[in-house]
Amino acid sequence: MSAFLRLLSRNRLALGGLIVLVIVVILALLTPVLPLKPPNVTDTPNRFLPPFSEGAILGTDHLGRDLLSRLMWGTRLSLAVGFAAAVIAATIGAAIGIIAGYYGGRTDNVIMRGVDMLMAFPYILLALAIVAALGPGLMNALIAVAAVNIPFFARNIRGVTVGIANKEFVDAAKLAGMSDAKIIVTEVLPNVIPVIVIAMSTTVGWMILETAGLSFLGLGSQPPRADLGSMLGEARSALITNPHTSIVPGLMILVIVMAINLLGDGVRDALDPRLKSGALSRPMPATMVSRTGPIPQPEGCDLLAVRDLKTQFHVKDRVYKAVGGVDLSLKPGECVGLIGESGSGKSVTALSIMGLVASPPGVITGGAVHYRGEDLVGASYEVLRSLRGRHVAYIFQDPQATLHPLYTVGDQLIEAVSSHRRIGRDEGRAHAIDLLKQVRIPNAESRIDSYPHELSGGMRQRVGIAMALANDPEIIIADEPTTALDVTVQAQILTLLDDLRRDRGLAILFITHDFGVVAQLCDRVAVMYAGRIVEKGPTDAILNAPAHPYTSKLMACVPELGEGRRRLEAIPGLPPGVDQLPQGCAFADRCHRVTEACRERAIPLEPHGAERSVRCIHPVEAPRTEAAQ
Amino acid sequence: MAGYILKRLLSAVPVLIGISVIVFLIMAMIPGDPATAILGSFATPENVAALNEDLGLDKPLVQRYFIWLGNMLQGDFGRSFALNRPVLDEVTERFNATLVLAGSAFVLCTVFGIAAGVISAANQYGLADKAITFFVLLGISIPSFFLGMMMILVFAVNLRWFPVSGMWPIFGDRTIWVLLDHLAMPATALAVVATGVVARLSRSAMLEVLRQDFIRTARAKGVHERRVIWGHALRAAMVAIIPVLGLQAGFVLSGAVYIEMVFQWPGVGRMLVDAILRRDLLLVQGGVVFVAACYVMFNIMVDVAQSLLDPRIKT
Repeated sequence: MSAFLRLLSRNRLALGGLIVLVIVVILALLTPVLPLKPPNVTDTPNRFLPPFSEGAILGTDHLGRDLLSRLMWGTRLSLAVGFAAAVIAATIGAAIGIIAGYYGGRTDNVIMRGVDMLMAFPYILLALAIVAALGPGLMNALIAVAAVNIPFFARNIRGVTVGIANKEFVDAAKLAGMSDAKIIVTEVLPNVIPVIVIAMSTTVGWMILETAGLSFLGLGSQPPRADLGSMLGEARSALITNPHTSIVPGLMILVIVMAINLLGDGVRDALDPRLKSGALSRPMPATMVSRTGPIPQPEGCDLLAVRDLKTQFHVKDRVYKAVGGVDLSLKPGECVGLIGESGSGKSVTALSIMGLVASPPGVITGGAVHYRGEDLVGASYEVLRSLRGRHVAYIFQDPQATLHPLYTVGDQLIEAVSSHRRIGRDEGRAHAIDLLKQVRIPNAESRIDSYPHELSGGMRQRVGIAMALANDPEIIIADEPTTALDVTVQAQILTLLDDLRRDRGLAILFITHDFGVVAQLCDRVAVMYAGRIVEKGPTDAILNAPAHPYTSKLMACVPELGEGRRRLEAIPGLPPGVDQLPQGCAFADRCHRVTEACRERAIPLEPHGAERSVRCIHPVEAPRTEAAQ
Repeated sequence: MAGYILKRLLSAVPVLIGISVIVFLIMAMIPGDPATAILGSFATPENVAALNEDLGLDKPLVQRYFIWLGNMLQGDFGRSFALNRPVLDEVTERFNATLVLAGSAFVLCTVFGIAAGVISAANQYGLADKAITFFVLLGISIPSFFLGMMMILVFAVNLRWFPVSGMWPIFGDRTIWVLLDHLAMPATALAVVATGVVARLSRSAMLEVLRQDFIRTARAKGVHERRVIWGHALRAAMVAIIPVLGLQAGFVLSGAVYIEMVFQWPGVGRMLVDAILRRDLLLVQGGVVFVAACYVMFNIMVDVAQSLLDPRIKT
């Protein structure tokens, strides 16, 4: 409860709404004791006095009645009726919902059918019908408004109750011999109350509006007593000559309802756990860049060169250093593997290259990515966009989630092309069919009109690959493209990628956590741990003689390289959180070769023989001794 | 597709029966003798007796319901005593006017609500988002009848841009331009609340969708951001937005009653209020059933639209 209030108070708008509402409610409560003129005493000689007249600060209405006094009494009445309607609707609706949800079966069926019927009405119409039957009057308007809102509460509360009624603690209470009534009161009700509060806070504003509306139509409060709605209704005939008589009650309704809506939003945000974490923010078209320190200049003739790349996630006041200075390079036609455990930063590295890290919260804070000598990190969105898919294409992990569910695969393939060059309908279709054939999808001519949900996982991944190939890119970044697939399909996809690489001279950056895949596909490999590369070099050399203790541990579970297809075996302990990296070697706590020196300072990535480098001061010397144990 | 539409039409039958039962029961709640209630306290005993026999009010409740239902199915909704004409004639004539008003408001709230929600989400926490959020809050908090009155004051009385009220001028031709001139203010006033609701929901639906993996895929393909937002993301978000559009259709259809009163629009809502105040109960009964039935039919169209949009729905 106190956490709830704290959250609510942090929301300044909601707090403002609460303050306004409290002031209005207090004034309404105090109305009988305030020194106001009687609201219903007419004084026709002084009719339509303008605001700020002597003795009538808001002026008078068409019968010379004091508007301020009528406004206060009217507010009191409107608030009372609105809240009463909300309480009645919530109580009856919740009771119906709890009974339907708790007992289930036939009871539930019959009740919910009835509720559905009521919800089939446009609800003001239903309120009109009820008032028609009961006759005009404030009490009848209140009943009508409450009645039409009951289905809303019943349906919401039923949904929650069904969830609770199947929980263990309810079963336990039943076994303990508690009566249904007692279970409902002691076990179900306390869990349902927050939902009732949310539903009330979001509807009480409506109910005040609706009762005011019925009064405005002349179907609610009857003269001489007036609520805000009927004040407005009476003032309507003098709208053009004396607008203040309309504006005064109208503005009051607006202020009350707005305050309630602000407060209601705050209550909902505070009680809805999904919004609490601030999770609902959308990623921008390109990752934010905020580089400090020197920007590396292009050197050498690599196709793609990642230099000292640093990518962080800024969540509230914590900083997660997902990528802490990574260097990688890719030559034409080369396949480089980037391997590491989950959370090692390999995917973030891959996504940073084309600015696809979700941002917020992602920020690229340093380094550069050179594509043919051009820095992509500092590039404008339009430059990035024109390179994406055309020169550098991605294949993502989960083909279920990465294809658009509502477009046919053909449309998605054609779009990959048409985003970069004009292409006619027939040409596009022919091209898409050709692509599907290249990735060996049978019946490509008919598959092109399928939606992703009509294809198997392996087929969808082939579509993903076809999409990456659409513009004949030079580089493909494959982010664990086979992880979500079963083993035989995995092998097919890998063979396909390997063939395509040879046929087209593609450069591939292959992200994986599977050494078997690396052995099969990659020329060179880089091993990542806690956001940094700990070892890199030619695949054969590293597989035969891992130098970093982490690499050797990673490989310990692959008995016959290239044949066994094993996932990484867990290494004892956990990688350090990237929001609290140690000063020295990040692997120190899990390493059996650790010494004091490892923890003292950051370990640089040093050359280790020809073409290899390793980030370790005690590298494993003898090849494969660790793996043999 | 035809099979799906037929299935949805058939499933509407129990709903329509339910609606007729509910309306019938509400009207049966009227205390005292219905014939007296209908004819008013000045009716002679002969009149009351004649009407009782005419309406079959001397028969048991269940029997009365079936007689009433049977008559309605043959197009006989009874006769309005105050207007002295068949209820159905009056209702359909008035309903046309309401349909013009509510239909335009529905189009307005759909177009502007979705556009505002999408712009808001695409610029989350930006200036446009804050401005839209503020106007949406204002829009859903202002009573439509008060807004309508203020619009009359500003745009009709002071600026003289639009006529004060009515659907047609008393004299002159009835052209589409004249109608649009009269329609502009009431349709806008009616659409404001619904626009706010649609904008709110569209914003959150878009935020939800924009975080999905397939949006990242589209961006990785190099699709223009404008197309990512208005194509990929909005298409997926529509699945969540369309059901709310259905609800808003009901809202503008019934909320039209306030606007019709303010702008003297000759629609079915104003007819109902007048009928309630005159205790013209057969007219109320017929009008409510007719409008509710139209709304049910509209919701079927919404479902069909949904199934056209989302291939995952089994048709």
